[in-house]
Amino acid sequence: MFKKKFKLPFSKKQSPGGSDKEQEDSKEKKDNKSTKQSSIEGEIERHDGKVKKETKNSSNKESSIESEKEQKVSKGNMISSSRNVFIQAIKDATQNPADLIVKFIHPNLTLIYIDNLVDGITLTDHIIPNLFKKTNESPENIKSLLSVPQVKLTDHLTETVSALVEGTVLIHVEGYTQVVLANISTRESRALHAPENESQVIGSQVGFNESLSTNISLIRRYIMNPDLCNEKFKIGKQTNTTVSVLYIKGIASETMVNTLRQRITDVHVDSLLDSSVLVQMIDDNSLSPFPQMLLTERPDRFCDGLLNGKLGIIVDGSSMGILCPQSFIEFFQSREDQNLRWPIASFFRLLRLSAIFLSIYLTPIYVAALTFHYEVIPQTLLIPLSESRALVPFPPIIEALFLEIIIELLREAGARLPTKVGQTIGIVGGIVIGTAAVQAGITSNILIIIVALSALASFTTPNYMMGNVIRVIRFPLIILAGFWGFYGIMLGFCFLLIHLLRQSSLGSPYTAPFYPPRLIDWRDSIIRLPLPFTFNRPKSKRPKDRKKYDPEPINPEKKVELRVK
Amino acid sequence: MKNTIQLSPKDTINAFLLFFVINTTQVGVGIHGFQRIIHQDAKHDAWISVLIAGIASHIIAFLMIKTLEMYGSNDLYGIQQDMFGQWIGNFLNIIYVLYCSFAFFVILRNYIEVIQAWVFPDLDTWFISATLLLIVIYAFAGGLRVIVGVSFFSFVISIWLILLIWFPIKFSDASHLLPILETNMSAILKGAQSMTFTIVGFEVLNVIYPFVKDKNNVKKHVHFGLLVTTLLYLSIMLVSLTYFSGEELNKTIWATLSLFSIVRFPFIERFEYIAICFWMLVILPNLCLYLWAAYRGTIRLVKVSTNKFGWIFSVLILIATISIQTRAQINMVNTKFGQVAFYIVFTYPIFLYVVAVVKKKFTSHEEKIK
Repeated sequence: MFKKKFKLPFSKKQSPGGSDKEQEDSKEKKDNKSTKQSSIEGEIERHDGKVKKETKNSSNKESSIESEKEQKVSKGNMISSSRNVFIQAIKDATQNPADLIVKFIHPNLTLIYIDNLVDGITLTDHIIPNLFKKTNESPENIKSLLSVPQVKLTDHLTETVSALVEGTVLIHVEGYTQVVLANISTRESRALHAPENESQVIGSQVGFNESLSTNISLIRRYIMNPDLCNEKFKIGKQTNTTVSVLYIKGIASETMVNTLRQRITDVHVDSLLDSSVLVQMIDDNSLSPFPQMLLTERPDRFCDGLLNGKLGIIVDGSSMGILCPQSFIEFFQSREDQNLRWPIASFFRLLRLSAIFLSIYLTPIYVAALTFHYEVIPQTLLIPLSESRALVPFPPIIEALFLEIIIELLREAGARLPTKVGQTIGIVGGIVIGTAAVQAGITSNILIIIVALSALASFTTPNYMMGNVIRVIRFPLIILAGFWGFYGIMLGFCFLLIHLLRQSSLGSPYTAPFYPPRLIDWRDSIIRLPLPFTFNRPKSKRPKDRKKYDPEPINPEKKVELRVK
Repeated sequence: MKNTIQLSPKDTINAFLLFFVINTTQVGVGIHGFQRIIHQDAKHDAWISVLIAGIASHIIAFLMIKTLEMYGSNDLYGIQQDMFGQWIGNFLNIIYVLYCSFAFFVILRNYIEVIQAWVFPDLDTWFISATLLLIVIYAFAGGLRVIVGVSFFSFVISIWLILLIWFPIKFSDASHLLPILETNMSAILKGAQSMTFTIVGFEVLNVIYPFVKDKNNVKKHVHFGLLVTTLLYLSIMLVSLTYFSGEELNKTIWATLSLFSIVRFPFIERFEYIAICFWMLVILPNLCLYLWAAYRGTIRLVKVSTNKFGWIFSVLILIATISIQTRAQINMVNTKFGQVAFYIVFTYPIFLYVVAVVKKKFTSHEEKIK
């Protein structure tokens, strides 16, 4: 009875009409009966039998609960001042999961949380003792009482429920319609590892992991700048995944930020499990096989992009950050190129570039030359070629497709199998199948060299996504070469060229800086000139501030120096 | 001025890209065998004809730019409508559209012939034609920026081919050129006229002009592009004249390709196989730009979407390429095209310029009276 007296003035404030109040009261009576059992058991935190009993209760009173639900909808999402009504409301909203813990602290406090989501140590060290010390407090006082950073008050049920599933402890005070939300969610994540897909010799050896907060902290460690903007979005009706858009104000182009913002808010999907899926939804042309945004697991590469005026996206639960806009040639650049001396870095870049051409065109050229254009092969080269092909019963196109598919099978098997088995597969595939194929007379030795070379070359691409594209576009080219020789290859080449010209990344040209030509950006494209020359941010990113630093020598004065001009 | 073209900055191109546009539209299939045609008229002074044709192209381009500058941001189609009224203007527009289509057809048909003669005798005409048209439509549908991009890459990726003339230079004999100016002047001029087929292409400037962002620099880059083309033709002509004897050159239909065939590397010989297939990249900007120029003229006459126009145009061209089969027919078409192009590209702009100047004087005089 005391309870009700205590409650009334508050409920008057909250509930809009008298009829509502009456309904509430009648519902409370029912609830008192139904939750008596659970309130007795309340002190026991994990009780397996509890669930069963609860379900029995709920089945007994199914009809009444349904009617209650209807009432609740009409009532809006207010929080009841009665503990039992509140508990029932939370249980209904969360489908009464097995790991929902309801804990009473005498005389008037109720703690509700999901066991697997909250940090147990923080709970037992910083929340429960404080609450035991001072009971009979109002929610405002409790809020200041807790030694946990993220605490807030709310009187909305929906907000409470969504906070609960994010890992918040709800503290309900009997007689108040406000609830204290103390966020102590566990940040369970893998330890930081070296990035496995984008390993490099010189440079930092840390990669992103699956936790959004860890990833952002890694970036903030690199860029300690108040201008680093971080905008949060929620994507996915079912998953409610947090997505962070990062950029540096004053460098990144505002129009691009707006475009990206609009694209992300326009994504309406039920779930988002990885950033690579998000990329396919927000990029310019989802039909193209070429990736138009960079996926990287390297925080240093990510920060390098941000500092060059790109925009970054981090998705919670994904170890890959997204960078955009990205041009085609940038997929073949590695962060390591900046760490090496410029002639060596330039050499490596040229090597990679020729590797791409080798990888795409070497096998098709072999097929075309041996099918149609024997004339282009000099006689000295023709003899070993025809000798090795003398026993092969197939036309070159079948031979080449056969070997290319074997190589792709090996790669796919190696990627799917556990590491230890993967190595064995490599040996089995490489040595056994290769040698056996030649001895059986299915393929020629020279083709094995060519196919292995082009597979090797395709793996020099620093970006795995782009490496995949390069391996896959080889197949149509081989077929074109097998049917129409050099003409077919050229047809494929022209098609690819036009295709690349037609693409864009966040509205900026994909073939930048070559077309539209920006000579000053060529300094850091297929070659890398020394740092005093590459002082500009790439223009295709439309940076607000074009200069990274002054073109004057950036190194400190040297006693005996050679001024680089 | 009515009919001016309003463009958003996104559709415009930089003036210095005109260098690539001009150069790549000029260089096409003509370069394969222009030596024989000129040599028939001008004998061993054929290189002087090339030079004269080059200078003429500079003069014509100069007049074209002058005319276009008078009208600000407008293309030839708009200028003709404005200058001669709706009826005659549209009639001239139709002729110009037909000329662009004719040029497109001639380039395509010649390239198909070269492929069939040198690389794939068995490959069907319709197949080569259809595949090339598909590629062209794909580029055309991407808009002007993509087309100019194709020009740019076409130039950059194929410029190294010019270094291959080093191989025939080793076997050439400069005394073939002597004595200079032995042929009489009228024959040399006739030879220069025969260059028309090879040197045309820069008239696309008439259509692309309003799309240039910085119009002040147009002159510089256009003339530079023309100069590079002239030098290119001149050097190839000189090498051909010194490498082949006069009799030989008269019998060689594709002299440039024959020059390629002596190129040999340790791993590749008979280089013309590669060069001819590679030439697809060289003629691609030609085809795209002529298609685009025809499209710009057509939308002044009828409302038609880009894709629809591309497909209708391609089907018509495909039928035309199949219907013309023999070498004699192709030769006749080439000669006809050369004649038509001479009047449209080299004579008409002079007339247009004179009319524009007179009309401007007249209107300004009228305004003064008012």
